Amino acid sequence: MTESLQIQLKKGVLEMCVLALLSKGDNYAYDIASRMAEAVGMGEGTIYPLMRRMQNDGLVSTYLQESGSGPPRKYYKLTKSGANALKSQVSEWLVFETAVRKILGDVT
Amino acid sequence: MNRAHFMAQLRDGLSGLHHTDINDILRDYESHFADGLADGRSEDEVAAALGEPSRLARELRAEAGFRRWEENRNAGNFVGVVLALLGLATIDFIILLPLLCIMAAIFFGLSVACLGLVVGGSFLLFNLLWGGVMGNAAMQLLISLGLISGAIGGGALLLLLMDVIAKLLIRYARLHFRLFDTANKSI
Repeated sequence: MTESLQIQLKKGVLEMCVLALLSKGDNYAYDIASRMAEAVGMGEGTIYPLMRRMQNDGLVSTYLQESGSGPPRKYYKLTKSGANALKSQVSEWLVFETAVRKILGDVT
Repeated sequence: MNRAHFMAQLRDGLSGLHHTDINDILRDYESHFADGLADGRSEDEVAAALGEPSRLARELRAEAGFRRWEENRNAGNFVGVVLALLGLATIDFIILLPLLCIMAAIFFGLSVACLGLVVGGSFLLFNLLWGGVMGNAAMQLLISLGLISGAIGGGALLLLLMDVIAKLLIRYARLHFRLFDTANKSI
């Protein structure tokens, strides 16, 4: 029960978290995936369907950059509409979080 | 599972997609392995963290199908969206299936009706041009133009409605992407 609630919650904020990571600087999928896996336990492989969707939705764009070793790396960059989406999702999240915290205040 | 095994399963699961999409996706996962190895992990560790390749392939295929619909809204791509949803094979979707069939039948009926109006209107128009006036010529012209424009308007509405429904289905499907590996204890 708790586990499924956790999964649902995490699914909901996954996109917001990735947008937030990218707002701090362009990044490549492996690094995003390992941060997300560490922070919220996301399966690393799912970063690619997620990034593709966000690219389709115009929230992120990609470019290739030479890496020190091996072939050039694909970097993801927040677009203008991605930055707007992040802003509105964060404010929604804060409203939600405050409301839940207020209710939970009596319990804990 | 090692790198070659994972990539082979992923490639199998993606078959049917456009080859540029497939190559693009495979390159993403290849570089993930390369980065993982450079990070000091083994191929098996990286593959385990990535999750089950056939499931990833299903989600990627669905996403590609949705994108094609968004780029080009035609009947073939609408079928693609529906097939992609079927590929996700969630139980609720099977429950949804009869509803979808009924909707598809209604859409088909309405499209045929639109076509019928166009044909009927054109017939009246041609009839008029070739002198076969049935009653009042001005009236016949108005009726034929009315039928044709009605059909065009109806068709446009139909497309709009289809777009709304496809968007709803896509949103529904995305909720069902199992983004977190429940089998994996990392949650």
